[in-house]
Amino acid sequence: MTEPMLSVRDLHITYRASTSPVPAVRGVSFDIPRGGSLGLAGESGCGKSTLANSLLRLLPQDAEVTGQIVLDGRDVLDLNPGGLRAVRWTAGAIVFQGALHALNPVQTVGRQISEPMLAHRTAASRHEADRRTTELLGRVGLTAARASDYPHQLSGGQRQRVLIAMALACDPHLLIADEPTTALDLMIQAQVLALLDDLKQERDLTLLFITHDLSVLAYACEDLALMYAGRIVETGPSWEVFENPTHPYTQGLSAAFPTIGDLGSRMAPSGLGGDPPTPGLLPAGCPFHPRCPLAIPECEDAEPALRPSGEGKEAACIRV
Amino acid sequence: MVLGSVATLAFVLVFNFFLFRVVQTDPVGSLFRGRNIPQDVLDELRADFGLDQSLGAQFVLYVKETLQGNLGVSYQSRQPVWDEIARSVPPTVALVGASAILSAVIGTVAGIVAAWRRNTWKDHAITSGTMIFYSMPDFWLGMILLVGFAVVLPWFPVGGMTDIGSTATGLDRLLDQLHHMFLPALTLTLAYLGEYALIMRSSLLEVMGEDYLTVARAKGLRDKIVRRRHAVPNAILPVVTLTAINLGFVLSGAIAVEAVFSWPGLGKATADAIRGPDLPMLQGLFLLFSGAVIVFNLLADITYAWLDPRVEGA
Amino acid sequence: MSIARQRRVATAKRVWGHFRSSPQGMIGLMVLLVFVAMAVLAPVLADVRELNPVFARQSGNPQWASPSDFPFLGTDHIRRSVWVQFVWGSRVSLFVGLAATVLTILIGSVVGIVSGYLGKRTDRVMMRVTEWFLVIPFLPLAIVLASVLGRSVWIIIFVIGVTSWPSTARLVRAQVLTVKQRLFVDRARSLGAKGGHIIGHHILPNVSGLILANATLAVPISILTETTLAFLGLGDPSSASWGKTLEEAFVNGAIVRNAWWYFLPAGLGILAVVMAFTLIGRTLEEIANPRLSRNR
Repeated sequence: MTEPMLSVRDLHITYRASTSPVPAVRGVSFDIPRGGSLGLAGESGCGKSTLANSLLRLLPQDAEVTGQIVLDGRDVLDLNPGGLRAVRWTAGAIVFQGALHALNPVQTVGRQISEPMLAHRTAASRHEADRRTTELLGRVGLTAARASDYPHQLSGGQRQRVLIAMALACDPHLLIADEPTTALDLMIQAQVLALLDDLKQERDLTLLFITHDLSVLAYACEDLALMYAGRIVETGPSWEVFENPTHPYTQGLSAAFPTIGDLGSRMAPSGLGGDPPTPGLLPAGCPFHPRCPLAIPECEDAEPALRPSGEGKEAACIRV
Repeated sequence: MVLGSVATLAFVLVFNFFLFRVVQTDPVGSLFRGRNIPQDVLDELRADFGLDQSLGAQFVLYVKETLQGNLGVSYQSRQPVWDEIARSVPPTVALVGASAILSAVIGTVAGIVAAWRRNTWKDHAITSGTMIFYSMPDFWLGMILLVGFAVVLPWFPVGGMTDIGSTATGLDRLLDQLHHMFLPALTLTLAYLGEYALIMRSSLLEVMGEDYLTVARAKGLRDKIVRRRHAVPNAILPVVTLTAINLGFVLSGAIAVEAVFSWPGLGKATADAIRGPDLPMLQGLFLLFSGAVIVFNLLADITYAWLDPRVEGA
Repeated sequence: MSIARQRRVATAKRVWGHFRSSPQGMIGLMVLLVFVAMAVLAPVLADVRELNPVFARQSGNPQWASPSDFPFLGTDHIRRSVWVQFVWGSRVSLFVGLAATVLTILIGSVVGIVSGYLGKRTDRVMMRVTEWFLVIPFLPLAIVLASVLGRSVWIIIFVIGVTSWPSTARLVRAQVLTVKQRLFVDRARSLGAKGGHIIGHHILPNVSGLILANATLAVPISILTETTLAFLGLGDPSSASWGKTLEEAFVNGAIVRNAWWYFLPAGLGILAVVMAFTLIGRTLEEIANPRLSRNR
């Protein structure tokens, strides 16, 4: 059975605001094969976090979601509340950004890890849950003593590890990492990435990695997808996309991150001018054309669909 | 923390002393106003009270006596202030204590409902209703309830704590007292539950915007559990502090309401003392009220530190 | 017009624009204007001579008349018209409420600004004093002061002002500290600006919005305190505030006589005015700090 772990089809997410609706995600489709890893990159406001939260239906009431999200064979959008609760954390779990706000300040870290085990009955007793919590803490590189600490007593890196341990509490098949390394310093970033990689191998996890840092993704994921203004504009094997980007946006982005060890890349002028468009006020035609160095008059006519751009990649650009 | 409270108490003592000295030009004369007492007896009494000594010596005497529980003699009743006050404490504790607990519990629950069902009719009803009650003079509400339920509909007595001339004992007596306590307690509860509702509501709304609630939901927990185990414990911290502080105001919280219902507690004693003016009584009452607030504020700080793991010195 | 003045006018216009679109703010404002109009137009609306019991008796008014027998709101135990008391009472209650609040805000702001701006030892000392006032139960303190100092309108205003300023001081001080943190105060100082100039041109404009919102919310407290003090007999015997009306109603047996017309209007008046100020204050708070309206 080679059914993908996660299959998203034509996903549209619109926020029903009081003045006018804001389309955050406009027709996104992708698959992640079992045991695979997909990196989702884009600037802030492109819709990637909205997308991540929608996979477990965690968006607020005023968000309208249409399309199909098939996780481990079940359409998440079709589930009733009970079925949805059962799927959350067991089929798919999210590793949130490790700011202080992702953890309950008045509960010990250990309790927060063991809580879903008991709720989903993946641990038979409190005793077993505590034992498995200790195991998980050890696996992410924290001592058992940490279980009785409160979130504010841990450093940023430690909190991120706790969030990883917490996400693994019910042995999920899909792990969604939403900006797990943002706001951590470089050394800790590397450690967290290595940890995620190890865990993926160990437990045969399927990984969806979301960030705005393209270079991180190229290292951690097999496939890459770039989002701009609520749509995927380029996709393909990560190394290919990183080395030979075909969409002008990707080309701009990858030039914006200097390669460590390559002094030349730091000197050369690079990066993208301008700002990403506001979700409610998109330009006509291709939303990237105002900032695009390769723009031609036809770019304003219609939004391009994804088309093959060589070596397994696809890009949404008429210049390809 | 404790040191600060003791210092504040000391300040209160000093303040109390000097304030009343400013007014009491001749306490002994006031005490026996209207009675024909020979001058030499008055002079002897003045000497007894230490009034012929310097201000500093008088202050020392005042502190010594206060610490011994001697708060002077009431102008109106000629009884020791301490006795009068002691007698008035239980009715007030019963009335205001019960009302404080009720308004805290009902108000907090109302606040939770209002926040969790934000912007529905329940929220609007709770928010407006509590604000209306909070904006009216509490004793006026008492007057309305009295007219409504003791005069027009004679379901409840018009005042006092027990029926006059009643010789009931034991359970009958208790029921009678509760019967008398119903309207004043209702008044106080309605008037003050707004504070709890409002604070709980805004605290919970702030918590509801936090990421860790999304995380809790992502874990597949039921809505009720998310609310009970994650949202409310974080939101309730300010309410706990408020409750602890309000307990300090239990003694002084119902002065006007007790007056309206003739409830024989500290409030009524204060109202009566004002009409004198019975300065020794006022002085003693003020000392008691301040002391209670200071002590309970200290307890509030300690409780908060114990509950919130983020606070140092827990 | 100088640039600073232009900016201030623009800010005022913007604030008014926001205010106008807020239903709670406009309701509050309307209600308040009604009562202010009543207070101002009192001589026109009600004959002040009616407040004099001798005049009332000579006019042949009945005693304890209900509104159906005597317009508009019946009479009291000494034959005075309750309507006249209500209209003229609004003057005293509003005046005392506003004046006491002005005093509160004045003391509180000065303490808050000086304490926040000077910092260090001045700050610590002033904060100790503030805390001490905050801990003392407010009503007993007011009662004690009023009993000792006497019963006149001005003393009541003084007493309320002197007991209510601490919370304003704390708020203002916190805001001043925030403003101080911002770089431009340091820059102004390095440019050689003196303390007074800094306070006047930088700190005050940034704090005044907060002070205004706080003031509007402090008026209800002043009004309710005056009402309670008057009810307990500490009010000015010669002034006819709504609180005094309630006191007279109670003391003279309005309850047992079911003379609801005597005490209901005064209480409703207080309720309406307090709610009006509360609504306006909350609206101003939301305008000054838009983050608040998200959580309301």
